[in-house]
Amino acid sequence: MVPIVAHLDLDAFFAAVEELEHPELASKPLVVGGDPHGRGVVATANYEARRFGIRSAMSCAEALRRCPHAVFVRSNHSLYGQYSRAVWSAVREVIPTVERTGLDEGYLDIGEVASDFREARPLAEAVQAAVRGVTNLSCSLGVATCKVVAKVASDRRKPGGLMIVPPGREAAFLAPFDVRLLPGVGPRAEERMRAAGVATIGALARLTDQELAALLPGKVGALLRDRARGIDARSLDLATESVSIGHEETFARDVVDRERLHDELRRMAVRVAERLARGGQVARTVTTKVRYPDFSIRSRSTTLDVGTDDGTRIGELACVLLDRALTDRPGALRLVGVSVSKLETVVQLALVDAAYSGSQDTSTT
Amino acid sequence: MTTLDTAAVTEMKVTCGSEEFAQKLAVVGRGVSTRTTVHILTGILLRAEGGELSLAATDMEISLRASLPAETGDSGAVVVPGRLLVDIVRLLPPGVVTIEHGAEEGIARLTCGPASYGLHTYSADDFPRLPDVDGGGRFTVERGAFLDTVGKVGRSASRDESRPVLTGVLVRFEEGKLVMAATDSYRLSVKETPLEGGPGQELEALVPARALGELARIAQGATSDELEIGVQENQVVFGIAGVWLTARRIDGQFPNYKQLIPESFEAVVEVPREEFLDVVRRTSLMAQRKSPLRLRFEEGELTVSAQTQDVGDAKESLPVSYSGDVLEIGFNAEFLRDGLESVTDERARLKLISPLRPGLIQGEGDDFLYLIMPIRLAG
Repeated sequence: MVPIVAHLDLDAFFAAVEELEHPELASKPLVVGGDPHGRGVVATANYEARRFGIRSAMSCAEALRRCPHAVFVRSNHSLYGQYSRAVWSAVREVIPTVERTGLDEGYLDIGEVASDFREARPLAEAVQAAVRGVTNLSCSLGVATCKVVAKVASDRRKPGGLMIVPPGREAAFLAPFDVRLLPGVGPRAEERMRAAGVATIGALARLTDQELAALLPGKVGALLRDRARGIDARSLDLATESVSIGHEETFARDVVDRERLHDELRRMAVRVAERLARGGQVARTVTTKVRYPDFSIRSRSTTLDVGTDDGTRIGELACVLLDRALTDRPGALRLVGVSVSKLETVVQLALVDAAYSGSQDTSTT
Repeated sequence: MTTLDTAAVTEMKVTCGSEEFAQKLAVVGRGVSTRTTVHILTGILLRAEGGELSLAATDMEISLRASLPAETGDSGAVVVPGRLLVDIVRLLPPGVVTIEHGAEEGIARLTCGPASYGLHTYSADDFPRLPDVDGGGRFTVERGAFLDTVGKVGRSASRDESRPVLTGVLVRFEEGKLVMAATDSYRLSVKETPLEGGPGQELEALVPARALGELARIAQGATSDELEIGVQENQVVFGIAGVWLTARRIDGQFPNYKQLIPESFEAVVEVPREEFLDVVRRTSLMAQRKSPLRLRFEEGELTVSAQTQDVGDAKESLPVSYSGDVLEIGFNAEFLRDGLESVTDERARLKLISPLRPGLIQGEGDDFLYLIMPIRLAG
């Protein structure tokens, strides 16, 4: 049987949540992200703001230049987390098997519910209706036989769109799009292809083995050409359901003071821990990320044998990792961040808890 | 032009057998720092003096030293890149190795038959001063007894750098016995071993588990039955068959582990250890991503089961001497396995209180205990 996969993408998610929370903002150009007078970047802009050319990852200062009357709101991740959970539980009411790849996007195993592609459309519409019914949020879906095509398709008719690519039409559907839009094509691969005159996904799909080997050697080239042809064997990854939780902050001025950096990390770690606890999760991997004034990024990670949701402990680990990064390359920092991954729901009890609280025993054996 | 120019052409010249050199380098090379940007710590210090070539490496936490007989033409010292030297000498054919270091070039020349290597050097003056192995007195213990104790206890130590105290093994010498304890806060191992010799007084030190692991590794290839130990103010020194390992003592208070061990238990179940361990190993295959191993005790039977979402499940029973109410408890599979492997007796005893209280694993005697905290089971 042919797989039927949908990619779901919430439309301008952070901005849409802010509009719901503050209805007076709904008709105005709205930018969620950092401080427009500092060095923050745009996390999401609503569709009104996008008309002024404002895009995600643009600096907020640039966004302000393009649209001086835009409203700027700071990101409120715990709020978005609540909406996201509501969205995904609504989705699961319609399609039980889901791989979340972010707060606002993920893949749905439509094939588990639909017997063929003709049933895909009503199901996808039911998903959109369920999400709207529970949260008032709008989402776009792409439906295809594989992830890569579904992902490209979900972006075609935003907002509120539904794009179905029937079996056999994958390559033809992808062919006209800019090669940059193919998932997996990074800036370097794009640059190389563009230099060689490969501008569309179709052009990449048509490359011979020799041309491909010269342009993108190794496994990556073969993988990308397969994708360009609409071939993608990846199934839904249900193990790494929730990827990571993190906080980071760009400073108004570069910071060199170690104590200050440690304080920032400890503070962020507490917030990360709160979000873990809210989801009933613990994390085994802690990562500290730093960005230097020249924008280069480094990260250092450590993995524990047993997961934790203890903010103090995550903070201490984050500080050790920061020190390690700064030993390798000292200097002032533009940004620090802490994130946790390898999230689990296992509750491993600890001896010290048992020793100090003494009241863990709730059973009657 | 002047006589000065030719005075110090060679700073060091030494000749030794390649096989013995490779063997000693393999031991000392483990002390080379792998996670540093301090170049000198990635090197091995070579010192030729009085018919001996001595080697040393340190990452500032532990240090390793060894020496071998050599023809020392000109005595001197130099630091060469450690990893590279280990690899070069390991691949040399059996024969005679000569190392010459001319001061002006900053290069050490290593030759062996037709093979010749030039290695960029660091100055021996920049190499950290290593702890004195003779400072503060030493005593001798039986190697087997000491390392067997390390082997049973070491794996309970934590690898978490944010909890330095828990990365150590508590080593305590008492009258006629040696006690070691380690905990990562999820399990605790304690072993008491009768000991001949020893310091002649009570002595306690918190030693990095990593250092003890290295010691066990060195001892595998050693012929001597004796282990020399020196406990100094900030360092512990171990000597075995001419190899010296020093480790920085860990600061801080090791948890008062005795109060973590429950005084009484509700159930004591005796199991054939190997058989139970095999069941645990097999069932663990289905306890992926840290999902718990479930132990269900009921009248005359123990059932071990595991389940991982989207992977599958496993279940196996064995007869045991249990009577009483059904008791179901979850453990981290790896921790349970570690405990059962550390008990080397034919029969193991499992002592339990309830699903949320610690369980105890012991062999036939009371000289070793492994305390393990459960995983809370859902539903």
